[in-house]
Parts: sequence; structure tokens; C-alpha cells
Amino acid sequence: MTAAATDARPVPTADWVTIPDLYRNPYPIYQKLRAESPVHWVPAVNRYMVTSYQACHVIEQDQERFSADETNSLMKRAMGHSMLRKDDPEHDVDRKSYGNVLRPKAIKEHWNAIFQANSDKYLAQLKAAGPGSDFIWDYAAPYAAENLRLIMGFHNASQEDMQRWSQTMIDGTGNYADDPEVWAKSEQSYNEVDDAIDEILPYLRKNPDASLLSGMTSMPIPLEAIRANMKMTIGGGLNEPRDVLGTTVWALLDNPDQLAQVLADETLYARAFEESVRWVAPIGMYPRETTADTVLEGVQLPAGARLGIVVGAANRDPAVFEDPESFNINREKKPHLAFGGGNHFCAGAWVARASVAQIAMPQVFRELPNLRLDPDNTPVDAGWVFRGMTKMPVLWG
Amino acid sequence: MAKISFHHSDGNVDVLDVDPGTSLMRAAVTNGVDGIVGECGGQAMCATCHVYVRPEYLDGLPDIGDDEEEMLECTAGPRDETRSRLGCQITVGDGLEQIEVDVPDDQI
Repeated sequence: MTAAATDARPVPTADWVTIPDLYRNPYPIYQKLRAESPVHWVPAVNRYMVTSYQACHVIEQDQERFSADETNSLMKRAMGHSMLRKDDPEHDVDRKSYGNVLRPKAIKEHWNAIFQANSDKYLAQLKAAGPGSDFIWDYAAPYAAENLRLIMGFHNASQEDMQRWSQTMIDGTGNYADDPEVWAKSEQSYNEVDDAIDEILPYLRKNPDASLLSGMTSMPIPLEAIRANMKMTIGGGLNEPRDVLGTTVWALLDNPDQLAQVLADETLYARAFEESVRWVAPIGMYPRETTADTVLEGVQLPAGARLGIVVGAANRDPAVFEDPESFNINREKKPHLAFGGGNHFCAGAWVARASVAQIAMPQVFRELPNLRLDPDNTPVDAGWVFRGMTKMPVLWG
Repeated sequence: MAKISFHHSDGNVDVLDVDPGTSLMRAAVTNGVDGIVGECGGQAMCATCHVYVRPEYLDGLPDIGDDEEEMLECTAGPRDETRSRLGCQITVGDGLEQIEVDVPDDQI
């Protein structure tokens, strides 16, 4: 931890990395980076990218050296200063305001029935649209959005609002190009979410339910923090379950032997889920900032260094995972970093597991016999900070 | 200092001397003890620091709280009605100067 700077290696620069290449397929880039050094300065991204499992793991366990409270954070501009960009003890106050809403007991008592009703509804719509419809946009996206809407308590919004808010604010968070149109849409959603919160809180005070916003009405937490945390949750609770659902179904359809295993034993959907988020982490990179000059896995970093913690790369580190580029539900179980770790461990992890692995996937494969990809209409996977299927037409029957 | 022994199913034992106030999870993660993951950093949120406390140390433990109870229903290894605990919820020192636990074969 306190190795002298002279013992540490300088950070290599990876000037060959481009954002369009990362967006199309980041994994060959991560392989090349990881083989050379656990950390690189990447000019195109304007960050140090951390790609080894061990280095990412060290960072997420040490908020003293690696702060989540990033200077000039685009996320703070797009969504406000949420718990995701705070360190403890400030982070802990916000985190506790979520109470038990996203925990397994509440999921069993309240949310599973709602997830099931939503899956019934959107699967019926997918079937009505017929073979050739898009699994992501006709099922996974509205399903994830409607689940999140009800968990959060936005009784005055639609699932389409949730999808628009999520995407536009995520686009703001990633607006490194400072595109004014992206900011305009992001800011419009920011204001719409604030208005929706202001409108619904008095209603939920009179009509309490099991939702996050309802819980907030009795918590000692400032409105500004509620607003920021709700925006973070919209951005972090919709695209991700949508993407893990899409990616897992795609991977199973692409690996018929593994699909046959899962169909024969539905408890394996949980394994498929965990392997899917390891293989393609829906959130592939998140930021941290060094609080002082420091040495990370033998590499010297200056104070105030803006880091990208590339869990999408860490999860394919051959030092930890055998044959890491393959989707394999039978691989030796090892902890992946897709949900983050330490105090910022994903608050929605159990909701995602329940809604995707327990409810959606078994029902999809039960009710869409002979589900398969459309050979004449190729699916598209894309993204690196956020990665998932952007198009996945399917056939069945 | 307080002493924590992590017994593994292959017969190996990790014995750690740690400062009072340290949780079993933190001690294990800091010292690289195999089989204790501690993903969530001690919020009783992930159920990956499950341990089986050896019977002779059960009397000295704090009661199981609501969050821990909920997570003990989500562990990868089977729950033992009396011995299963989360390592993040047990802190050594202050009357618990020594503890021995068995590490489950499955944590995820």
C-alpha cells in the first residue's frame, strides 16, 4: 500500500483505443489492455482504465484511497448528487433511506406477484405481435420498466416515461462530447422526474404502499437527496435488468446444449443469470477518483486521477476465470464483479435476480416453444459503459 | 488482539490475530481467506460471508437481526439452524476474544 513511487511502474498510455471500437465490441480491447498492465491512461476516454480483476477488487474495497465522489462528474450534472457518487458516512445515510424495499423478504411479499403480472402482460403483447417481433423492445424493456415504476411508486407515470427518463439521463451521464442536444433531453427528464416526485409524495403520504418513494416519506432525508437517488435508481434499475434478460436469452439460444440443461432443470436459470452478468456486465464501467498519490497493483497513480473501473474487463480476467470469453453456465463458481462490491454493491441485485431469473426467463421459455433467433434478421449487441442487446428479433412455434 | 480460526472442509485452518472491533468478514477479506467473499462490504445484503460457528462459541454471539435472518435464507450453502451466521455481523473483542468457524463449500 505504501510502496515508494520509485518501486512503482509508470502508467502506460493506450492511444489506440477508440470509443467507436469500444462501443462495437470492447472485449478484444480489454484482452490487449489487461495483458499489458492492470491500468492504462486512455486518452479517448479521458480516464485511467482499470481492467484487471485484482485491481478492480482492490478499488471497490477501499473508499479511502478511491473515492466515488468524483470531481466534475457528468452523472452529478445529469442526475444530481446521488448516493452512487458519495462515500461513507454520507453514502450510508442515503442507502439506509431505501429501507427494506429491495430486499428478499419484500420481494417475496410484494414484488414477485407484481413481476408475474407484468410478465404475463408483456409476454401476451409479444405473442400478439407474433414471431419476428423484438424480444428487447416488445418484452424485456417494457417488463423491466413497469417493474421499476411500481417498485419506485411512480403511480403518476407510465412505463414509457420510465424508459425515456432512464435512457436520456444515462445519455447525459455519458455525454463526454458535451452535445447540447443530449443535455437538453437529459435536463428535460431531470425536471420531469422532479415534478413527478413532488406530485406523488403527498399522495403516498396518504396512501402508503411498499414502494421506495412511499418509504421515503417517513425517512429523515432531504428532498434534494431523494430526487438524486430516484434518478440514479431510474438509470440503474431499468436498462440493467432489461439487458441481462436480453443477453441471457441470446446466450442460451446461441448455446443449445446449455439451453437444454436449463430447460431440464429450472433451478439453473439462476446459474445462467450469474454467468450472463459475468460474461457481459450490463454496467461495464463506473468511475472512481484517487484521493492521494497511490500505487495500484504496482502502477503509480497521481492524486485526483479519474479512474474507470472496468468490471466488464475484470469479469473476463483469465487470471480468475478459465476460458473467460465463453458463456458457460457449468464453469467453476467464482465471484464476479458485475454488481460492484463493498458499500456500493448493487441495491437492486435481488430484484434483478427475482424478476429476471425466477420469473421472466422460465416463463419465456415455457410459453414460447422452440424460441429461436431469426436467421434472416441478426441480433445486435452493443455498448461498453452500458452493454446489452439493441436488437433481437425472435421466432417461435 | 482477538483470534479467529476459519476451518476449511479440506482440513486447512486460517488463524488470524485481529484488532478488537473487526468483523469476521472484514478479517477474512483483508487477509485473503478463501471461501469468504463479502461482496456487499458488510451491509447484510449479499449472503456471501456465511459461516458455521462452532458450538462452543455460540453463547457469546449477538442475536440474529432481521436483515441477517433474511440473508441467512439466501445463502448458497445449506443453512444450519443453530450454527449459521453472517461473518459481517459478528465482531470480535469485547467479550469475544476468540472464535472458530467452519467455512461453507459454497458461498455463491
